[in-house]
Amino acid sequence: MKNNSVHYEATKNGAFFMAVPAVLWKLLFLYVPLFFIMLISFSKSFDFAFFKNVTLENYKSLFSLSYFRVIGRSLLLAFLNAFFCLLIAYPIAYFLALKVRRFKNLLLFLLALPFWTNFLVQVYAWFFILDHKGLLNTALLKMGIISQPLHILNTSAAIYIVMLFCYLPFMVMPIYSSLLKIDKFVLEASFDLGANSLQTLSHVTIPLSASGIMTGFFLVLIPSFGEFVIPALLGGGKVMYVGSMITYFFLETKNPFLGAAFTCLSGFVLILFALLIYVIFKKLFK
Amino acid sequence: MRAIRLHNVKKIFNNEVILDDVNLMIPSGEFFALLGPSGSGKTTLLRLIAGFESVDSGSIFLGKKDITNVPINERRVNTVFQNYALFPHFNVFDNVAYGLKIRKVKKDIIEQKVVQILKKVHLEKHIYKSIDQLSGGQQQRVALARAVINEPEVLLLDEPLAALDLKLREKMLVELIELQEVLKTTFVYVTHDQFEALTVADRMAIMSYEGHVEQVGTPEEIYEFPKTSFVAKFVGSTNIFKGNLRIEGDISYVEVKDIGKLEVVAQKNREWVCNGCKVLMSLRPEKIEITKKKLEGFSNCLTGVVESIVYHGRSTQYHVKLKNGFSVHVFEQNEEHFPQEDIDYDDNVYMYWQKENVVLLEK
Amino acid sequence: MKMGISKRITPYLLPIFVGIVYLLLYTPIFVLILFSFNKNPISYRWDGFSLCWYKELFASVEILAALKNSLIVAFSSVLLSVVMGLFYVFFGASSFLNRLIVFFYGSLIVPEIVLAVGLLSFFTFFSISLGLTTLIVGHTLLGLGYVVPIIRARFLEMDYRLIEASFDLGATEKQTFFKIVVPLLYPAIISSALLVMIVSLDDFLISFFCSGAATLTLPMYIFSVIRSGATPVVNALSTMLLVISSLLILILTSLKMKTRIF
Repeated sequence: MKNNSVHYEATKNGAFFMAVPAVLWKLLFLYVPLFFIMLISFSKSFDFAFFKNVTLENYKSLFSLSYFRVIGRSLLLAFLNAFFCLLIAYPIAYFLALKVRRFKNLLLFLLALPFWTNFLVQVYAWFFILDHKGLLNTALLKMGIISQPLHILNTSAAIYIVMLFCYLPFMVMPIYSSLLKIDKFVLEASFDLGANSLQTLSHVTIPLSASGIMTGFFLVLIPSFGEFVIPALLGGGKVMYVGSMITYFFLETKNPFLGAAFTCLSGFVLILFALLIYVIFKKLFK
Repeated sequence: MRAIRLHNVKKIFNNEVILDDVNLMIPSGEFFALLGPSGSGKTTLLRLIAGFESVDSGSIFLGKKDITNVPINERRVNTVFQNYALFPHFNVFDNVAYGLKIRKVKKDIIEQKVVQILKKVHLEKHIYKSIDQLSGGQQQRVALARAVINEPEVLLLDEPLAALDLKLREKMLVELIELQEVLKTTFVYVTHDQFEALTVADRMAIMSYEGHVEQVGTPEEIYEFPKTSFVAKFVGSTNIFKGNLRIEGDISYVEVKDIGKLEVVAQKNREWVCNGCKVLMSLRPEKIEITKKKLEGFSNCLTGVVESIVYHGRSTQYHVKLKNGFSVHVFEQNEEHFPQEDIDYDDNVYMYWQKENVVLLEK
Repeated sequence: MKMGISKRITPYLLPIFVGIVYLLLYTPIFVLILFSFNKNPISYRWDGFSLCWYKELFASVEILAALKNSLIVAFSSVLLSVVMGLFYVFFGASSFLNRLIVFFYGSLIVPEIVLAVGLLSFFTFFSISLGLTTLIVGHTLLGLGYVVPIIRARFLEMDYRLIEASFDLGATEKQTFFKIVVPLLYPAIISSALLVMIVSLDDFLISFFCSGAATLTLPMYIFSVIRSGATPVVNALSTMLLVISSLLILILTSLKMKTRIF
């Protein structure tokens, strides 16, 4: 059974056209809008005379430190979030894939659940923990570890914490899948040949789960870069990230041209950064 | 009357030529077998007839109609798949009735026909069972019923018995023959197993590589009078001697190096049959009499030393080494419990055969 | 002996770590649920058990309107994306359209905010007024990005000879689709439908950008209320959403695993 593509001889009665709507939909509502954004970034007016008014002014006005800081901040957030998620997710995925037998399905379900509940609900729930009258502060005060409530909400600390927990399942799932595929006998062979747990982990397990690690890393990196909700709700709105910046351009200043240019610029930076990470990954795991 | 004609059919997959200008005529109303080794393209040929693949060049005729560009579902041809391909979400009834339902046949007629056909394949008691409750042999018969109920002009069978064990296979072969005789539909049966082919076929085609049709004929013709060394070696087994043909009046013989003259009967109507021509001589192992005694009345005789004996219950096979190192393969049927002669390893033996039992092949 | 102690502890380190993470993951949620029953409108101080917020929840016109919008959009998106996705996977398989499969991964790779502003610009340019329809368009787009990979994966696992057998027996592509392919793809269809439903109900960004001034979906409502100062009604709403999501996930996972969770 050949499996990379199903090929069968059509009965040639035009049913082929039923496959077209999906493609058109994607084309029209994904690729055309993206193309649009690129076009608009080079113009100042919303009409069909694009090509007469090609201008780089939008990009020029973005070449300032404050905008670069915004992009850099998001880049840092994305990278650190992915990094911390990896550190925490890997042991969890390892535990679920290789160490648990009886309650595996239950634990997987529990992991997936917050992931599927409304994102906003999750974020809102953290308010109750991180607020200066919230659970964390109350507990720490009661235990006498601190004397004054910690000011966590509306700081970047809050953003990082909540991002971490919201994106954790994205990292756990791919790593879990790739760990499942490892032949357990290979691990046994490693012990048989004299390696201890740590050595087996670093020489065998981690390299064999490389594809899952990479998938998870990018699955967290890309969306984290453009994240709007969490910084907006938890960051106090004073500090701008790419997501809030784009929202600001499009919805508050009603300047879609600068917004488009900024989107393109950030997108470009993200792609470069992602490529860089990809190359590093390839070097690490080869 | 021919049921199927393939004309200069060519099929290429991934730059590999699977079928190279195949020309074949399959007679109507018969049980026809396509026999060949794996990779000979016989399954591809079947799929082209069914319509699952399209030809790269050439044409296919069903009766008088050119069906080369007719889509699968419009050809009056049905297939019995090797893995049965039964619809798992339908029970036996719904599987068998599928073709009729598609053609919007009336419900009561469908019921009638389904019961009828299931009786023919001895499955009338399983009519409403789900597929996974059936054994391999039963599933195979459902696949058969599902195809046959549509009364196709040709029924294609792609190694349908491959997944069954030996005893079941033998039983099914007989059932298939009976079914074909009753229905009188043309059956085209693809297999790499010569036993199956020889058993069921009224006529068969032997295919070698790239779909090359080596010979078409009845099983007897193919077995006793192979036209090429491929056929001689592929169907059954044989001993091939290379030599020069000498025709001296009424007597013909083949001069084999280091062995001598072996008398043959030369059919003079072939162009490669000439005095001095290089030929191949095919001598089937069962045509040879092996004995330690001297016998009279045989046209040919060779001597050698027994180098291997393999006992197969019904028969015993010997490999006898000749003076020149060539090994002759002999087959003796074990007709008696206590054989009159005891032939053992390293014995010197005589091998006798008649010149009429030799087939000359073109080199 | 030192060796002995560390050998006794180390096997437990990992489970403890995992346990702590799960705890941290769920503590906010538990607190949220807990405080939805809190009598005190100023959260963070427990004043007693009460269901008043739930009463308010079900009485709120705003919330019900937002819920209605969310449901309309979700069901429409599911219907559109599943139908179009199914059609693409099967009817596209026999032609060059099959090779366009990479097309469909686009919405998963691009950050959602870019999708959202792209759609906004697109609609604005063509003077399409923003509302439920534009929302459905956007959500269907997201949905296709999930439906097509899932259904295609299951379709490729299917025995293609069943399709050939159906043609062989005289069925057209349409007949084969409805009689053979769809019944056999049922689990994949259901799970991708549930997935798209959840994604749509959950979605904030595309809704935020493409729904216009008048339309509010549930996530948007929650967002605005959090921003402007929440009452525990939001807790009650969140709890309800949690319960519904859990049920949907339960169905999804039990379909996928076909085994019991416990």
